[in-house]
Order: sequence, then C-alpha cells, then structure tokens
Amino acid sequence: MGILKLENVGYRYKDAPKDKYVFKNINYEFEQGKMYAIKGKSGSGKTTLLSLITGLEKCTEGDVLYNGKSLKKMNLDKYRNTEIGIVFQSYNLLPRFTAIENIILSMDVSQVKIKNKKQRALELMKSVGLSEEQSKRKILKLSGGEQQRIAIARSLSYNPKIIIADEPTGNLDKETESEILKIFKHLAKDENKCIIIVTHSQSVCDAVDYIYELKK
Amino acid sequence: MYILKNSFISITRNKGRNISIGIIILVIAACSTVTLSIRNTANNLVKEYEASHDIIGTISFNRGQLAEKFKGGEDAKKSNIEAFNNIEQLTLENIKNYGESNYLKNYYYIYTTSLNSDTLTKATDSYEYEVENKETSTTSTTKTTGGQNNEKSKGGPNGAGGERHTITNNNTTTIITRSKEKFQSDRNLTGDFELDGYSSYDAMTDFISGNYQITDGEMITDFSSFECAISSELATLNEIEVGNKITLKNPTTKKTYDFVVKGIYKDNSNADDSANMYSQSANKIVTGSTVIKTLVEDDSTLVTNITPSFIMQSEDVIEAFTQELKDKGLNEYYTLNTNLDELKNATQSIENVKTFATMFLIITLIIASIVLFVINVINIRERKYEIGVFRTIGVSKFKLTIQYILELLIVSIIMLCIGCLCGVFLSKPIGNMLLQNEIEASKTADEEVLNNFGRGEKLDLPMEMNIRGVAKVEPINSIDAVVDVQVVLQLLVIGILLTIVSSLASMISIQRFSPLTILKERS
Repeated sequence: MGILKLENVGYRYKDAPKDKYVFKNINYEFEQGKMYAIKGKSGSGKTTLLSLITGLEKCTEGDVLYNGKSLKKMNLDKYRNTEIGIVFQSYNLLPRFTAIENIILSMDVSQVKIKNKKQRALELMKSVGLSEEQSKRKILKLSGGEQQRIAIARSLSYNPKIIIADEPTGNLDKETESEILKIFKHLAKDENKCIIIVTHSQSVCDAVDYIYELKK
Repeated sequence: MYILKNSFISITRNKGRNISIGIIILVIAACSTVTLSIRNTANNLVKEYEASHDIIGTISFNRGQLAEKFKGGEDAKKSNIEAFNNIEQLTLENIKNYGESNYLKNYYYIYTTSLNSDTLTKATDSYEYEVENKETSTTSTTKTTGGQNNEKSKGGPNGAGGERHTITNNNTTTIITRSKEKFQSDRNLTGDFELDGYSSYDAMTDFISGNYQITDGEMITDFSSFECAISSELATLNEIEVGNKITLKNPTTKKTYDFVVKGIYKDNSNADDSANMYSQSANKIVTGSTVIKTLVEDDSTLVTNITPSFIMQSEDVIEAFTQELKDKGLNEYYTLNTNLDELKNATQSIENVKTFATMFLIITLIIASIVLFVINVINIRERKYEIGVFRTIGVSKFKLTIQYILELLIVSIIMLCIGCLCGVFLSKPIGNMLLQNEIEASKTADEEVLNNFGRGEKLDLPMEMNIRGVAKVEPINSIDAVVDVQVVLQLLVIGILLTIVSSLASMISIQRFSPLTILKERS
C-alpha cells in the first residue's frame, strides 16, 4: 500500500462555476523509495495538486490519504512539519535568517528529537554540496542554486517520509539541475523517501520512476 | 522555545523597524510613567490627607432661621427676645446622646463657662486705680476740741463710686474722696476668666495643631480634678508658677474654687484680627469638662456653652447623621456643619492635577494604540511573505501569533524600562509644575473674589476662612511624585495591553492569510 493516496480528487476555485474544475477524478498512489513526476502544461493544475498533497489547500472533491488517514482529519501543521518536506520553486526561505538558521528553524518547528541540530544542519548542507562558510550567509547573499539546495536541506532536516518539490530545477542551470536530481535519487533509493516532483522538465521526467500527467 | 528565539532573531535583524516602534513606546512609557506617578502620588496624598484630617461636624445655632420669625416694631422687641430665650440650649446630656452614634468614630466637646477671681488680675489692656482727693476748709465757729471726728460714707459726688472720709480737726475740715478710676484703651475687652473644659485630649485641637503649646509643666492629666493650664500671659502678669494654686470665684454664689496650675501654655498665633495688648487666649484657663460639670452642679444658673465636635466615619454618613440628630430631637434652630468643604478645597488643586494626569494618560494611550496599530498593519503587510513561509513549514497560527506578540512585547518591555527611568527623573518636576500652576490659578480666582470685597491685599484666604468653628484645614501645596512598585506594575500592564491592542493587526492577518495565496503573490 502506498504512503500517499489521492482518491477521486477534484478541485474547483471558490468563485468558479460549479462545473468548472481545475482537475477532477484524480487517483494517484505514491510509495516510499520511489520518485514521481507530475507533469502537465501551464495551468493544468500541477501546483494546485501539490497544494492539496501538502495540505495547503483542501480538495473540493475526493480525499488525500496519508498512510490511509484522510488529511481532513489530520493536524495539517503537524503533517507539514513532520511527515512531508516541501521544496518550492521560489525556495520560500526566510530572507532575514542565515542558511543554517533556516534549516535549524525547520527542525525546531517539527519538534523531532535531534541531538545536535547545528551539526545535523551542517551535514545536510554538506550533503547538498554547500560549505560551512555558506551556512553563515544570509539567504539573499546566496545564488538561486544555493538557495534551492538550502530548501532541499531544510525539507530533509526533520527526516520526513515524503519530499514534495515544485519545479525544483526550474531556475537552475543544467549542471546544478543534474546535481539536485542526484540528491533526490539518493534520497529515494538510499533513504527510502517518496519523492514527488512537479515539473515540466524532460530531464526530470527521465530521472523519475513514475510520471503522472495532468491534462486539461 | 524556538518562538522566543525567532522573536529575538527577528528583532535584531529588523533594527530600523524596531527602533521606530521602540521610540514611540519610549515616549509613551515616559509619558505614562510621569502621569501614573503623578496620578498615584496625588491619589495617595489625597487619601493620606483625608485619613489624617477627619470630617468633623459641629452643631451651630441657625440664627438665620430665627431671624425669619422676627417681628418688627417697638412692641415686638420683647416677644423677639422671648422667642430667642425659648430655644432650648444644648446640654451635656444632649451632646452625649448625639455622640452615641454608629455614624461617628468619636466625639468630644468643650464645655465652657467663666468665673471671676479676687486674687487674679485679668490680663487686659485696662486697669483701675485709686485716686485720693483732699479738700480742706477752715471754719471759726467749730467747737470741737481735742480729738477728731471721723465720718465715712460711701458714694462719691455725682453718684460716682468711691469712698468719702470727712475728718474734722479743730477748725479744719478735710474731705478725702477716694475713687477708682479706670484707664483703658479704646479697644476694651469684656469678661473675666474663661474656663474651657475639654472632654478629652482629642478636643484640644489648638494644642494638637500647635496654636497653643505647653512651655512649662504639662497638660492636665485628670479631667475631673481641679487642675488647669493657664496662658503664659496670665502667669507672667500674676507671677504664677507651675504647682501654684489659683482661686476662682463664682460671680453669683461667690463660692470659690482652688485650681492647681499643672501647665503654662504659650499662644503661638502671632497675630489675630484684634489689635489688643493681650492675646484672646490670655484669660483662657484650660481644664477638664467634668470640672465644669461640677461647677454647674454647684450652681445651675451658671452660664455655660458647649461646643461639640463629631468625628464622622466617612463623608457618606453626614446625611444619615443629620437625620439621626433630628430623630434624637435636635432643635430646628440648630444645624450640623462640617469641615467637608474645607477638606475638599484643600485637596482641590491636587485633584485637578490628578484629573489632568488621568486625562493625559488616556489620550496618550489612545493615540499610542492607534499609532502602534497602524505601524503593525504596515509591518504585517511587509512581513506577509514571512508569515507564508512559516505557515508552509508547519508553524501553527497560534504559535506564529505568539511569536509576533512576543517581538513587540520584548521591544515594549525594554523601552518601558528606559521610559520608566526617564519618567523617574521627570515626574517630580512636572508634577510640581502642574500643581503650582493649579495653585496659582486657584490663588488668582481667590484674589478676584477678595478684590470684589475690596480686600485685594489679603490673599491668604484658606487661613482666614476658618468658619463655623471647625478645625482649620491647610491645603496641599507640593507633590513628590514617586515612581514606586505600583507605578511600575501599572506601566507593565499598560505595556502588555498596548502590545496586545497593537498586535491585533498581526493576529487578524495571521488568521486570515492563506499561505498559498501569499506565496503565489510573491512568486
């Protein structure tokens, strides 16, 4: 049984006509140790679907089940800070915090017991190819690629079972994209994480195990 | 814990914003400290003043009411006096009956009468002396021989007092007329010795206030034995020392009473309305009320006067006590007067300062709340993205609200401490400045009133207005505004309330904002 299951999921904007859905009857299942890509054209609802999976939005129809339990019945804050890690296309890091502070903050919020948070944060940064010197920099003093790595490190900091990434390589060059994909692959294969990537990049689609395509 | 850590990080990384908020809070804190300390000190001063100055009621004769019933014309004179005589005088029993009331803390009275003395010289600016006048005439027809004829008769020529001696010796007749002549100033005093019988030490308000002060010996200790304290003027004039006896005489029955002088007092009031040689207290003899009662028992016709003082439990009972007096049979021609107006007047300036301070505090807090609220609204709009990020990584709305309130609270507390220190130094001078302005304004108003009466130079109104026989009331004329624990606690409460009020913007925004919408807007 998959860790995450979408059952007849449909979404319609609040102010939209009753029959106008962004998508409808979505039935996907995601398993640990696998990489998934959700692709589709612009406006197909990729990011909206990701919002439903992360609990940032609620389904108009159907249900999202985590380990067989409906998200509607779960504490979504707890779900987001413990069970899933989110990597946004625009990174969504706190600009006034340093790189390492952003990572430690996620560990603090999750309240998962971690002995030496600073040490773990530095290890995570090292695993995504960032140095200790870079850890002390403020977010705005890091490049896009570096910020994306910080976002990935942050999503891994409290050891979630699922990593959901929205266009994680959209702003990156080929070389960096390749490095990021390597990290995701390692997380899926070696650390048994479920990786879900929303993308329209072919190279990402080539790297994943399964591809779901959203069609209008 | 991480909430607190985040708050500190946010404060230190947003210096510009927090300094602006801090300056506003600093000004509010300083203003609040000054106004709170002035308000509290003024409040305490008024309370202490009220606690140390009892509301004292006394029963006065309502002459106005009697005058309303006066008739005019020559024939009405007798009936008017009869009407006055028919009004019952207050008796000791009346006073004791009135004094037994639950509305009173205590009561006391001065039982006064007057006696004469053959041995004491009254301190007065008039004196009598004997004048001897000799008239000698010689007649040749007188046959008297050897010896003399001496006639003595009373009553002088023209019906004047004095003695007349006629000595006839041989042919010479000498008429010696001895008469008493009085030398006095134009401003004559009347009466002999006033005996003030106090019911207790509480009744001795002149000694309590320091108008009179025992300078030799001590105050009487037994209110029922024939002990007394006399004025230094009377003592000097009659060469009396502590321990001496003085003899006083009932003017009607001529019965004499010996009093032991236990103390000699000095009248410290340097000036009074009259310009006499001796003070008004010169012939005043202080003794116990029971002594006067004994004198009255010996002679019921002895003219006495009772001045009662009733110490009220509080301002609220005055009306009820007045009614109780009526129920107990107080004659309609007597009224209860209190020193409440004088007490209120004495604290009026400080009450005005207190009201001003309170109003200023309220206005400051309202303006401050609005300013801080607006700053926070702007601040939250700027930090929308941050809120979105926090929410997406799983920080609950509650924790996020607490974090934002904490940020403001930390800034507030730091600035409140600094503002409080500023207030400590500013409170006293500002408080006194406000009070002095109030006193000056009050004096100007008094001056205008006095000018209307042609008494522009007499500005010391409260001292002069010792009306209705109640104790003098000195006004409060300085305020030592102190920043105490109470002020600090009040300031802390204000700080917390201000923080909560101004954080309302953050609270509402955090509840309303959808993280996804915020992040989409940012993207």
